[in-house]
Amino acid sequence: MNKKSTFVFYIFSTLTALLVTQTLYLSSQESMKASAQEKKVLFVKLTGLPDLALSSDSAYIRHRSLSFISDIYHLDGCLREYDKSTYAIENSTVTSIN
Amino acid sequence: MRKRINQHLIEYAIGSVVRQGYKSLFIVSVFTLLTALLTAIFFITNSMKYELNTTVDTLPEIVLQNTRASRHIDIETRSADKLLDIPGVSSVNARVWGYYYFTNAGVNFTLVGVDEFEEQYSNTLDKVVKNASFENSGMYVGQGVKKIMNSSYYTEYFNFIKPDGEIKKVDIHGVFDSETSLESNDMIIMSKESVREIFGIEESKATDLVVTIANREEIDTISLKIEQMFPNARVITNDDMKLSYENIFNYKSGIFLALFVIALFTFFIIIYDKMSGLSSEQKREVGILKALGWRVEDILKSKFYESLIVSLFAYLLGITLAMAYVYLLNAPLLRDIFIGYSDLKPLFEISFVLDLQTLSLVFFLSVPIYIAATIIPSWRVATLEADEVIR
Repeated sequence: MNKKSTFVFYIFSTLTALLVTQTLYLSSQESMKASAQEKKVLFVKLTGLPDLALSSDSAYIRHRSLSFISDIYHLDGCLREYDKSTYAIENSTVTSIN
Repeated sequence: MRKRINQHLIEYAIGSVVRQGYKSLFIVSVFTLLTALLTAIFFITNSMKYELNTTVDTLPEIVLQNTRASRHIDIETRSADKLLDIPGVSSVNARVWGYYYFTNAGVNFTLVGVDEFEEQYSNTLDKVVKNASFENSGMYVGQGVKKIMNSSYYTEYFNFIKPDGEIKKVDIHGVFDSETSLESNDMIIMSKESVREIFGIEESKATDLVVTIANREEIDTISLKIEQMFPNARVITNDDMKLSYENIFNYKSGIFLALFVIALFTFFIIIYDKMSGLSSEQKREVGILKALGWRVEDILKSKFYESLIVSLFAYLLGITLAMAYVYLLNAPLLRDIFIGYSDLKPLFEISFVLDLQTLSLVFFLSVPIYIAATIIPSWRVATLEADEVIR
């Protein structure tokens, strides 16, 4: 092998080793631990509300599996628009007939 | 077999990649960015689905909500007695919960009522709350709720405003463990009586009824019976919940689609550039190689190695970067697409899931296409006569 080939070989080997090491590290450190899983299961069992607390902007989409579609595309608790796309819904010809 | 992998051809291909310098670097950069972006989105989505699927089996078999004019209204608690008469129903629990809008911070809290003195709830709370105390009536709050309350100087208790304008003071007894942050961040758990008082729900009513069924095979039959018994009620089965998870990211799908289209469009531009033919310099190179006695097969092999080195390197680098970006850095910027703009943002610490299907999907979307885009124009030129190409 010439110098360039050796260099490329080392680059690929390093990159592969890095990827494998990172995967192993993430598997051991960042995977869901049994204790965390147990707590999550207990919490959801207790409340019966499973949706993730990601979209808490509006009550209507917080627990979307228990929401009505008509509720989801609506306004927030203070009747302010909660979503950037609300203009598209509010100004549509379908909803602004009256 | 030994003759098929020609080391000299690989060395020539490596030399060719290095010789092209900035062009190779540019292709590797764009390729890496695209792979990293696509993989990062898939990683986030997969981890969230995994998070949701972890808890989905613990959900009640059926949730019954009362409606009037297709809007949710409180349900009579005595309906539980009727439900208990249906064969197969093990238990019915009247649930009291709802959203409390805290105007000062502009956020919604989810208030859930539990039968405070029941031992099973105390045991569960003991496991999910840090330093739980059960001395007297109080509430347990999520980390996000605690943070918001602290910022409004409610460190020991919180004043809820009841529908009649009166204040209901509730002590904070504990904060949910950070490991449940994705589920509990905006949640408050307190006694059913307190929730009824805060929301003004009568003793004879509940938000919904939770029906437990011993035999899962009977869920559909029992849900049909419930629908017939309460024609205006909304019956949500465990499977409905699972289906809603299948569509959970539809709300954000516009942004996903935009990202995906931009990524694919950029990639197709690169491919188009490759497909539209080789530069005169590259054609000349192929012509000289043919004049020196290289066979079409050798030229195609060297081009195959060349494109494989570039695309495989970019793919591996992209995957490595995406993993680090999502799981080590917690996806800065991209996470904002998922968690909205509310002040009540949870810790975006998603669990690592190694999904080989995703890695294969990204691989087959990128590497073979790039190799094909390199080999096809080379084949066109390589099949011509050497003097014709050089001229």
